[in-house]
Amino acid sequence: MSDVGKVRLRLPSSIKAGDIVRVRCLVIHPMERIERDASGKIVDKKYRYIDKVSVTYLGKAIASFDTTQSVSENPIFAFTFKATEPGKLSVTFHDTHGATYEGSAEVRFG
Amino acid sequence: MTRRAVLGTLGAVGVAAVAGVTATSSAAAQALGQNEPIEAALRRVFGGRPMKDGRGVIKLDAPLIAENGAVVPVSVEVDAPMTPQRYVKHIYIVADKNRIPVVARAVLTPDSGQAYVGANIRLGESGSVRAIVEQSDGTLLQVTREVRVTVGGCGG
Repeated sequence: MSDVGKVRLRLPSSIKAGDIVRVRCLVIHPMERIERDASGKIVDKKYRYIDKVSVTYLGKAIASFDTTQSVSENPIFAFTFKATEPGKLSVTFHDTHGATYEGSAEVRFG
Repeated sequence: MTRRAVLGTLGAVGVAAVAGVTATSSAAAQALGQNEPIEAALRRVFGGRPMKDGRGVIKLDAPLIAENGAVVPVSVEVDAPMTPQRYVKHIYIVADKNRIPVVARAVLTPDSGQAYVGANIRLGESGSVRAIVEQSDGTLLQVTREVRVTVGGCGG
């Protein structure tokens, strides 16, 4: 699973100033589920899953997600932002093991 | 004190400690493997505040039949203004039958432009999926959709 932490952002191909843009982002992550042993007892360990996603545009926080293990493996999140000027849109994922994964895209008009 | 009594007391203390932790923490931080019924989860997150019917305002998009419960695409769109004075602050995605019912909480700002979020979630079994919207003035709105799951996706 060397792909863990790979982030992909998908924006529409053409964006005009002032548009409300829908973005989809994907992160490769196991999002570990709760495991049980043979007797049905929950295995007590620190499960590795993403518990926080934050979105910034032009350095300003515009949205965030608090997530639990009920979110699927290799999760996809969708959100919108208002494209006011060209700049960087970035999405950061934090997991329970302290790792952070970041993906970004340049917003251009045209 | 017998051994049984001591263990019983310890157990009660443990439960109290867990309850204390979850009461103060956010939607995301539930205790490990908590088999929380939906009513308890809603009470913990929303504290019994009244919820209005959000039909006509909230569009919850989820498949009628999800063949694979491990990946169920869900999206929520709210037909509400996003101005600094009044905007949609939180969108909660809740799956009633999951062991961890509060799937995700989105925190939005007026810069989001539109109250729209989507996510791929897990569903353990067939049941209701809710979208609960909290506006900046504290109003709660909710809509519910039934989703049938062929293969559960939550494991243990």
